[in-house]
Amino acid sequence: MAEPPSIVPVEAPPAPPEVETSMSEPTPKLTNPAPKSTNSSVAGSPQTLLGRTVVVQGQLSAGEDLLIEGQFEGTINLDEYCLTVGTEGHVKAETRARQVVILGSVTGNVAAREKIEIRRTGHVVGDLVAATVAIEEGAYFKGSIDIARDDATEAARDVAAPSTSRTND
Amino acid sequence: MALTKSQEETARTGTPSPATSRGLQWLWQHLSHLRHPHCYECGPIHQSTLDVLLLRGAKLYLSDLVTPAQQSNSVFWSRQGKTPIFLIDDFLVQFPPIPPESLSAICCWGLLDLLPREALPRLVEGFHACLQPGGVLFSILREPHITTGAETRWWFESLTVLGSSDTTQKPFPYPALTNREMERLFPGGNVKTFLTRSGRREVLGVK
Repeated sequence: MAEPPSIVPVEAPPAPPEVETSMSEPTPKLTNPAPKSTNSSVAGSPQTLLGRTVVVQGQLSAGEDLLIEGQFEGTINLDEYCLTVGTEGHVKAETRARQVVILGSVTGNVAAREKIEIRRTGHVVGDLVAATVAIEEGAYFKGSIDIARDDATEAARDVAAPSTSRTND
Repeated sequence: MALTKSQEETARTGTPSPATSRGLQWLWQHLSHLRHPHCYECGPIHQSTLDVLLLRGAKLYLSDLVTPAQQSNSVFWSRQGKTPIFLIDDFLVQFPPIPPESLSAICCWGLLDLLPREALPRLVEGFHACLQPGGVLFSILREPHITTGAETRWWFESLTVLGSSDTTQKPFPYPALTNREMERLFPGGNVKTFLTRSGRREVLGVK
């Protein structure tokens, strides 16, 4: 609990995300607990939780790992950090992170510098771009998967074999 | 690119391993000029398929059309009249958004054996519209004497080796498709057939 939770609007004009709560529910949880076993964040690294009663719309960026168990709609940017969408999480967003683990529902495109994992309970509709993609049997996925490719390496290959290769793009 | 498992086997023994798919060998030879082929796999997700195709450099489209067909999912059937009607338009909604004429290959292993005849023209037209010129619709069809195995699942073991699980005795719901029917279904009729010893045909429609 060293730092307050961070949900930061990233573009001017500043538009703080709307936080809607069900009237029958207690105060929304926006806490910063210790990492849980349900996500793959590095042990000991700070992690923000959007609890299951939290409903957020807007642009979200963070300098720490994030676990979403509530509902989020908008854009998520965690360039250097890990996003986990928990089993209760519902996300409609364009997402960018270092690593993404999905156990809940995601609609929208997801880009990860390292890895995207869709676990057995995951439900994803959108296009994925990452260095590595893993989808467990039983997960639902509809969309496309593209591997993030190193342009320099591709260019080097083009130089090495200019007449035998052709992209489909 | 490194040799696949079956290619290593072939190099070592001089003969192809039994599971090597001649249809897949033809397919990858046909697409060998493409560094990043665009492929649509319409069966259940299997990590091995992802790994093999992504390693090949493919852009991969996924959505599972096979499982709902295997389960005769009731949401795709209208039972208002005396005869149930398959709602092909609702079924096609499951296609992922694919740009027209963009795909190099479509893997629809086993799917055509699971749907009613009247649904097949629309389905195959939909596939055909997504294929780029020279693109290939790769299907696996059973021979008429194979009557069970409707829940078989297929995946890429390697680029030229297909894995399958055939543990069920569920009967096929419709008669086997003939090659002549496939030629009529696939616009242009350019269909290649590779026979296998397993009672399945590898049927490739080339746009």
